[in-house]
Amino acid sequence: MEHTTELKSALNELRRLTGITMETAPDTPEELERTVTQIRYLCTAYKEKYNKHHFLKSLMTDTISSMEIADRAQRLHIEQEERRVLLLLEIKGTLEDTIIEILKHLFPSQTKSYLIPITDNSLAILKPLRDTENESEISYLAHTIVATLNTEALTSVQIAYSRVINHLAELAEAYRETSLALSVGKLFYSEQTVFPHNRLGIGQLIYRLPVSVCEHFLAEIFGSDIPDSIEEETAATINRFLQNNLNIAETARQLHMHRNTLIYRLEQMEKRTGLDLRKFEDAMIFKIASMIMNYLQTERIS
Amino acid sequence: MASLSLKGIQKIYPNGFHAVQDFNLEIEDKEFIIFVGPSGCGKSTTLRMIAGLEDISGGTFSIDGKVMNDVEPKDRDIAMVFQNYALYPHMTVYDNMAFGLKLRKVPKDEIDKKVREAARILDLEKLLDRKPKALSGGQRQRVAMGRAIVRNPKVFLMDEPLSNLDAKLRVQMRIEISKLHENLGATIIYVTHDQTEAMTLGTRIVVMKDGIVQQVDTPQNLYHAPCNLFVAGFIGSPQMNFLDAVVNVAGNDVTLKIGDNVIPVPADKAKALIDGNYNGKTVVMGIRPEDVHSSEDYAANDGDAVISSTIKVYELLGAEVFLYFDVNGTQMTSRVGSRTPLRTGDTAEFTLDMSKIHLFDKETELTITH
Repeated sequence: MEHTTELKSALNELRRLTGITMETAPDTPEELERTVTQIRYLCTAYKEKYNKHHFLKSLMTDTISSMEIADRAQRLHIEQEERRVLLLLEIKGTLEDTIIEILKHLFPSQTKSYLIPITDNSLAILKPLRDTENESEISYLAHTIVATLNTEALTSVQIAYSRVINHLAELAEAYRETSLALSVGKLFYSEQTVFPHNRLGIGQLIYRLPVSVCEHFLAEIFGSDIPDSIEEETAATINRFLQNNLNIAETARQLHMHRNTLIYRLEQMEKRTGLDLRKFEDAMIFKIASMIMNYLQTERIS
Repeated sequence: MASLSLKGIQKIYPNGFHAVQDFNLEIEDKEFIIFVGPSGCGKSTTLRMIAGLEDISGGTFSIDGKVMNDVEPKDRDIAMVFQNYALYPHMTVYDNMAFGLKLRKVPKDEIDKKVREAARILDLEKLLDRKPKALSGGQRQRVAMGRAIVRNPKVFLMDEPLSNLDAKLRVQMRIEISKLHENLGATIIYVTHDQTEAMTLGTRIVVMKDGIVQQVDTPQNLYHAPCNLFVAGFIGSPQMNFLDAVVNVAGNDVTLKIGDNVIPVPADKAKALIDGNYNGKTVVMGIRPEDVHSSEDYAANDGDAVISSTIKVYELLGAEVFLYFDVNGTQMTSRVGSRTPLRTGDTAEFTLDMSKIHLFDKETELTITH
């Protein structure tokens, strides 16, 4: 009797979700139980397929035919053609409920923005844009999200954002862009919190190079004995020298060292690598080499 | 409230960027400390390290004697107000201020008490039922501050909170923040690139450049006794005039040669040049625009340091006038009263108040005397 009630309820649920009316008359209690379980699975699978977040996540990470996009978007009442931007957030730590709550209130459902959890520390926001909203406003929005999560959730966050997309079918490409921007940004521009998809600089080039090519490049500079990293004090001195546009007097002044000490350190580096960092071209090669070393070190750790 | 200690604080990002070097500061309870400096000088990074939003690469940071380097931001008892604040669009002012406490499961009656108290302090009581879109820019900023106040933190951290407001509102909010500091008796650390904000708000100011602290002092001392050329140029608007000058020592008499002008140096300042062996060397002479006088009366009393030049620009600001002219190829500014008869194109004699000059070593840029 109890199982018969469960079967009726499962069939009702199936009809409510899918519109499909089914009739079934299992002979034994075991068959009845199996039928109920199967219908429940069917309902869960259908819910997943036609859940907005699940659908949008699938659009980003899976291959879905344009026919299916149209069908599922219509069922889920998601506009296919709309000006939107995809923002990808990565939280330091885990994506706690507090963070989701803050974002939900920052982007209420009536704004037709979608919050799509990706992993346990990342989340995507698909946000519609007005016709007048441009790149600088998107950048401001990204900075605002960072500041709000910093102040309200007291948590660190980094964000990448995509180009403006006009159709849901472009979401997969937008996701690839933002994922790349976030990875490149974290590696090469770690002092920043917002990474636009179109400002990844030389970091993007290095990131796309195979490790073997990177190692070959470093071997040209350091020979067979490629260091994992440059000794901290030397690295700090050289970085400061590069930040000061190869200005010896200014660098020496900032580092509170005699200019001869600075010149000695630069000459030591020249002995080791053959690069005279006082020359622009050599300084540029060294800068790229140090970026590659950081990249390879991070790759090894991860 | 709280006292903070930063000893040898460093920030080196994984990409090798050295953002902050050897930052040392002791902050007393209830102090209003300002971090000021040009963009990229490391002031916000330092603030974020204090907040716990950035890892500290080296050194020790403590609050009330307790080391905080590895303590989570939420356990540091701090509250932040940033430039890019966002209010929850569909919530009232009351709910916007209460939301953070609700998330932390603070009891309802306690939330109510805290929100109403913050609203009273910020003069938001009549606006509690309004939504953000019905508020002015200044009111919204006050709500953002209210969200920090209700947390009742040990330390307030503010990162350019007024940058998005227009000039008039910024002046008004500056006064509000000053009052807030008095009313709350809180320890506040405030980041800005605006030296006027720094001078008007801070009990002490930390001037930073390229990740390095240049000087920590009161606003008065920074203005009258800058420790180097950068601080002298950064603090003060219009900024201090700088002229290259060759030192000539003859016994106890010292003169500065600026182009064709030879100007005697007062005895107290001359001593520093003699003691520092600056004879024949080029130094940088700094003088504030208000110490460059155009009146004939002033010249009659102190006529040794007179420079003649043609006025390039006359800028009337109501109560005062800025006169811009060139000396030896360098632009100078004189700040004079609005009744001056001088205009663009006039040739005038400007008297330098030599008792107010600052002298800097040209190579190290450090102050020789002021």
